[in-house]
Amino acid sequence: MMEEKIQEKELFAFASFDKYESEHIAAPKYSYWKSVWRTFFKSKFTVGVGILMLVLVGFSIIQPIFSGYDPLIAPNVNNPEMRFLQPSSDHLFGTDNVGNEVFDVVWAGAKNSIIIGFVATIINMIIGIAVGAVWGFSKKMDKWMIEVYNVISNVPFLLLAMVLSYAMGAGMGTLIFVMCVTDWIFVAYFIRTQVMIIRDREYNLASRCLGTSTWTMIKNNILPYLVSVIMTYVSRMIPSTISYEVFLSYLGLGLSVKEASLGRMVSVYTPYMNGYPHLFWIPVTVLALLSISLYIVGQKLADATDPRTHM
Amino acid sequence: MNKGYILKRLLRSVISVLLIMVIVFTLVYTLVPRTSIFAKDDAFRKLATKPDDKVEYQYYIWEKLGYLDFVRSADYLQELYEENSPELKEAQKPGSKEMEDFKAKYEAEGYTVETYPKSGRYYAYKDTPVIKHVAIWLSGLIEIDTPWAVDDEENPDLERGLSFGKTESGGLALIGSGSKHKYLLYTDSNFPWIHQNIINLTFGESYPTYQGLDVLDVLFSSQGKEAKRPVTYSTGKEGESGIIFGTLTYKNKLDRMDKQKFQDNYATYRTDKENPSMVAISFIMGIIAMIISYGLGIPIGLLMARRKDKLADKIGMAYIIFTIAVPSLAYIFLFRYLATSITNLPSVFTTYGASDIRSWVLPAISLALPSIAGLMLWTRRYVVDQTNQDYVKFAKAKGLNQKEIFRRHILKNASIPIMHGIPASLAGCIGGAFITENIYAVGGMGKMLPSAIQEYNNTMIVALAFLFSMISVLSVLAGDILITKIDPRISLTEKAGRS
Repeated sequence: MMEEKIQEKELFAFASFDKYESEHIAAPKYSYWKSVWRTFFKSKFTVGVGILMLVLVGFSIIQPIFSGYDPLIAPNVNNPEMRFLQPSSDHLFGTDNVGNEVFDVVWAGAKNSIIIGFVATIINMIIGIAVGAVWGFSKKMDKWMIEVYNVISNVPFLLLAMVLSYAMGAGMGTLIFVMCVTDWIFVAYFIRTQVMIIRDREYNLASRCLGTSTWTMIKNNILPYLVSVIMTYVSRMIPSTISYEVFLSYLGLGLSVKEASLGRMVSVYTPYMNGYPHLFWIPVTVLALLSISLYIVGQKLADATDPRTHM
Repeated sequence: MNKGYILKRLLRSVISVLLIMVIVFTLVYTLVPRTSIFAKDDAFRKLATKPDDKVEYQYYIWEKLGYLDFVRSADYLQELYEENSPELKEAQKPGSKEMEDFKAKYEAEGYTVETYPKSGRYYAYKDTPVIKHVAIWLSGLIEIDTPWAVDDEENPDLERGLSFGKTESGGLALIGSGSKHKYLLYTDSNFPWIHQNIINLTFGESYPTYQGLDVLDVLFSSQGKEAKRPVTYSTGKEGESGIIFGTLTYKNKLDRMDKQKFQDNYATYRTDKENPSMVAISFIMGIIAMIISYGLGIPIGLLMARRKDKLADKIGMAYIIFTIAVPSLAYIFLFRYLATSITNLPSVFTTYGASDIRSWVLPAISLALPSIAGLMLWTRRYVVDQTNQDYVKFAKAKGLNQKEIFRRHILKNASIPIMHGIPASLAGCIGGAFITENIYAVGGMGKMLPSAIQEYNNTMIVALAFLFSMISVLSVLAGDILITKIDPRISLTEKAGRS
């Protein structure tokens, strides 16, 4: 015994106090967002899809400014020669049943679809995350929020959409409102479940023992953990919102006649599918490319924002 | 199984459904302008030149639909004086003392009193508050038929009682007299062979579309042309008809034709039609689609999980992304286009009708396309998650081979959350699918809610909202119970306490 102790003593030496060393943190330099971008840009496929997405979104925003397309004005409506032209160098995407350039209609529609998709998703996310974070944290709130969820999620969405568009008048604002009025509860429910999963982990227990307030815990301990999960949800929500616009327009409930939309294009052009297939395929292809690129970029961003992939 | 827990949850579900109904009633009966319900009513349009009759008709319909309570001054006066008496004629003039009494009386009771545009007489109405409206609707939901149900002034000698006998088509029956239905219990050759008419659900009369029919009859009765067959009526008269004898109900005024066919006052009936009911069509199609999607989705999901990050997985993921990102409207059209150009299956359901198997193939596959993707995604997710669990490593360390681990451990655990969704997707079949049914022109349930809303068929909207929310709430409960049966580790009560 004694011998061992002596040996141990010989193995160790007193270190002197070094102020500089004690302040220095010996971890490799790590910046969260830099790592996110590095992981994101690593894959060529992702970069390719990202560029495609930017081109599509950019084109949809810029092209309508130059084309000045207005759904209420059909300049060639009385000129039968201009109707149903096949795509050619003069008419890039051909013309439609009232002689409009499909090229103009498609981008004007895509612009509105993108605006609806993004705005509705952002609003839903903000409300949903705020409510969901508190909901997941408070056990008292959970009891009655679950019932609120049961009720809201079971009110027929279509009924709500129709009644609201009746009461408020069809239009972009109404459509976005309709898409937000109940959808936030699903985001909130999803976030609540995620929060509940990490709420009782040891580091949060420790944090609470140290007297951190609930709000700081939500903000600093939990939400950053959820960035990747939220991104996954967002990447699904934007395409699904655009799809829903298509569905509502198919029912005749979407935007008003004054506004172009991909949804109404798809539903108006569908009857011409057999005779003039370009009228169906062009909007659908644009819609599909837009949705798929948004989805893939969102998924890859979700992967990149997960700190576990940064090693 | 904890009975107390299930009971409590059922109770909570009922409260949730009630709240949903209050919201639906508020939306339908207060936010939609009540004049819009007449947009599709021809009878109303014909009254355009008769303003008094128009007002009268409007308020009659509104009262029938439960919007308000309507009182005519004519009815009020008729109670005061005898018919055709000079006092009555005097009182009917606008401005008479009785008229003013009427106004004062009903205004005191909270009614709004207004005058007919032409005759200048008074009428009074009071809006029914939403909560009261819901309560009235609920109290009329279940109707129990007894021998004292019929109240017909013109037929005071109506016998009241029950007896055993046979229906015209030869089945055994419990025959009621004085009850609304003639046959309270009867047997016939149609599924489910024994039928009852004692406890009836009534959701109210459909208006303005499918006028005169109960909402449930619209949804659950066969559609199309009458399926005629030779029949013998109770009087011995023979004829061709699609009559279902079991549905005979009491009729107040019999016409000549009725008297030739029936010996008693039970002369109203439903007929058998050639095509299945909306619910049946949607349900059959949903079941076929469900079999396809579970039959394909789960095996492909398993394959993807086992070949994670290999080619099969990537192809599967591409398909999943495609269905998520592309609107179903577009890929169902794409599928129909491809399928009809390769095979010679019909592009619409109505080409061969419901009796031909070929009609069902394409719509059912289209309906399955998105759910296959969903099942693939989740099966893959659950299996991959289970594969990374410690117990799998332990099983491997104990020397079990891959196949054994996969079949006996991973699969069992991964199937639990998938099982949880089965009752919901089964029940969801009843709701139908709007886009698929519309594209293939299938006469199912999918179009009912959208078209009911567009046609302002309030009774239908309310009934559908009730049915769908009831189904969804109960099927979630059924799913929860199912997983506790499969996996004894899961306890619902403990879960409820924790959350």
